[in-house]
Amino acid sequence: MAARTDDLLRYRPWRGQPRGPLHAAVALARMSLRVLLRQRLLWGLFGLGLLVFSFFFYAQYLVVWITNQLGTETVRFAGIPVTVTNLTKFLDRLNLNGTAHTFGNFIWFQGYVLVIVLALAGSVLVGNDFAHGSLPYYLSKPIGRRHYLLGKCLAVGTLINVFVTVPAVVLWVEAGLLFDWETYYLNNVDLLLGVFGYGTVLTVTLSLLVVATAIWVRRTVPMVMVWMGIFAFLRMLGEQLARELETPAWRLLDLWNSLYLCGLWCLGVDHETIRPVPQPRFWQAWLAVAGVSVACLLYLRRRIQAVEIVQ
Amino acid sequence: MIPTTSPATVTRTQPLAAGPEDRSALPPPLLLFEQVSKWYGTVLALNQVTLALDGGITGLVGANGAGKSTLLRLANGQLRPTLGRVTVRGIDAWDWHARRLVGYCPDIDSFYEDLSGRRFVWVMARLCGYSRAEATRRTEAVLERVGMRDRADRKLRGYSKGMRQRVKIAQALLHDPELLILDEPLSGIDPVGRQELLTLFQELAARGKCLLISSHELEVLEKLTNHVVIMARGRVAAVGTLQQIRDLLDDFPVSVRVEVADPRGLARLLLGLPEVVGVEVEPKGSAGAVVLRARHPKRFFAAFGQLVLNERLEVRRLEPLDESTHAILGYVLGGSGKT
Repeated sequence: MAARTDDLLRYRPWRGQPRGPLHAAVALARMSLRVLLRQRLLWGLFGLGLLVFSFFFYAQYLVVWITNQLGTETVRFAGIPVTVTNLTKFLDRLNLNGTAHTFGNFIWFQGYVLVIVLALAGSVLVGNDFAHGSLPYYLSKPIGRRHYLLGKCLAVGTLINVFVTVPAVVLWVEAGLLFDWETYYLNNVDLLLGVFGYGTVLTVTLSLLVVATAIWVRRTVPMVMVWMGIFAFLRMLGEQLARELETPAWRLLDLWNSLYLCGLWCLGVDHETIRPVPQPRFWQAWLAVAGVSVACLLYLRRRIQAVEIVQ
Repeated sequence: MIPTTSPATVTRTQPLAAGPEDRSALPPPLLLFEQVSKWYGTVLALNQVTLALDGGITGLVGANGAGKSTLLRLANGQLRPTLGRVTVRGIDAWDWHARRLVGYCPDIDSFYEDLSGRRFVWVMARLCGYSRAEATRRTEAVLERVGMRDRADRKLRGYSKGMRQRVKIAQALLHDPELLILDEPLSGIDPVGRQELLTLFQELAARGKCLLISSHELEVLEKLTNHVVIMARGRVAAVGTLQQIRDLLDDFPVSVRVEVADPRGLARLLLGLPEVVGVEVEPKGSAGAVVLRARHPKRFFAAFGQLVLNERLEVRRLEPLDESTHAILGYVLGGSGKT
C-alpha cells in the first residue's frame, strides 16, 4: 500500500514505504528481549548459565593440559601419591575432549538453567500480554497474529541460542585451539553443524512450547509448575516406567531427553554410546519432538483463529 | 427498536440515493459492517449489525454489555465476525493490511510498565513498519500533538491516568490513520487536557479523518458530534444525528420550553393544538415560560409556527428539552439513559 503524505503530524512529508510485518516481528522480538533483560532474576540465571559454561570451558582446558603436560607424573594429594590423570577421572563422564558427547553433555546440563529461564521468559514475554491485556496494542498495528507469535518465538529462540548454541560453538572453537587446530577444525565441521542442528531443534520446539504454554497459563507461578511437570515430573515418570517395564520408549515422556537424542543424532553420535541406557531409537525421539511441536502449532493456530483476546 | 434513517445504514458522505452506476464509481466505505453477528460461545454479542461510516466524528453509545466494545474490536480486526463481513475501504478488517488505515486507542491501559512513554510509542511506530529514524520522528511528532513530549521519558509505571490516555492516543495517531477508533479516550483526563484533545479530534475530523468514539460521557460526546450510533442488546438501535433520531421517536412526546411575554395566553392557545398533550406554565418569578409536551414533533413544530404567525406572538426563546444524547438514549433504551 502506498505511503501517503501526511499532514497530521506537521513535519516534512515522508516518502518512504512502511516495511512489512516480518520487520515488525523482528522489532517485537527486540522489544521483548529488552523487557526481559530488565528482570534481575534473569541476570541471576544468566550468571548460573555462565557458571555451567565456565565449568565446561575450563574443565576441557584442564583435562587436555593435564593429559598433555603432566600425563605421566605423580603428585601427592593429601599425602597420597596419585597419578595426575586420575585426578580428572571424575570428569571422564563428561567427555571433555571436543567430541560430539562434549557438546551433547554441555547442552544437557545447560538445559537445567535454560528451562527455568524459559519459564520466566514465557510469563514475562507472552503471559503478560494476555494477563494484562496489552495484546490489543500490538494487534492494532499492521501485523497479523502470526507475526506476533513469530516475534515472540524469535525472542525466545534468541534466548535459547544465547544460552546453548553460542557457548557450544565457543567450546568447539576452544577444542580446536587445544588440539591440533588445523585438523580439528577441518575434521569436525560436522560437529559444528551438529551443534547448529541441535540448537535449531531446541529453538523450534522450545520456542513453540514456551509460547503455547505461556498463552495457556499466562502467569509465572503456574507457568513454572507446568514447566516442572514437563521437565521434572514426566522425566522421573518416564525413567521409572522405562526401568520397571523395560520399555525404553517410556523415556519419550521426558521431552528434554528426546531433544537430547535428536541433538545427538545431529552430532552424529552412535546410539549405543548414549547413556543412560536403555534409550529409545532416534526416530522415536524425532517423532516425539515433532509431535510436541505440531501439538503446540495446532494449539497456537486455534488461538489465532479464535483470538478472543479480551475475555 | 427505533427505525433508523435508512435500513440500519447511514453513510455520512455517500448519498444513499445514488444509482447503481454511481455507486460502482464510488470508493468502498471507510468502515462497513455488513450483517455482522458475533457470538461468544452461546452469548450473542452483536446481532446482524449493518453500518457504514465514511468521515467525521461518530459517537458510539449504549449501556454496558450493549456490544460497543465488540463492535470496536471487530472494526479494528481484533475479533473476527461469526457471520457477516467487516471491511475497511474494501479490505477485510481481519487482514493486517486493513490496519494500515486504522488507529486504535483501547480502553485498557496496561503496558510494559518499565518502558518509558517515549520508548513505548517508538516501539509501536516500529511495529507500523517505519525505519528507526522515521519512527523517532513520528514518535516526537505524536507526543507533541498530545502534549506529552516533555514528560515522555518517565516510566509508564509513574504515569497518571490522564498521561496514559495521552500516550494511548499518541500511539494510535502514529501512522496517520484514516479511521481512528477511540474507546473512552477522555477518561481520566483533566478539563484543560480534555479541551485540548477535543480540539485535536475536531481538527482530525476537519482534515477528513473518520473518528469512531465510544464514550459514557455523553455531555463530552455532545460537544464533539451530534452523530451517534446507539447500541442496545447487540443491535444498532439507532444511527443518525440526534435530531434525526429524536424525530423518529413519535411515541415519546417532545418537551419544549417557550419563553413569551404572556405564558398563560400561550398555554391556552397550545391546548388547542391536537399534537400537544400537556402544558405547564412556569411559576411567577421566572422568565415567563411554558413547558409543553407534544407528539409528532414535525407536525407540532409546523403547527406551532403557524400559530405564532397567526397570533403574532413574540417568542423570546424556544428550547427543546430532550434532544440531548442522554435523553434520547433514555428513550431508545427504555431507561434513564444512563450508560
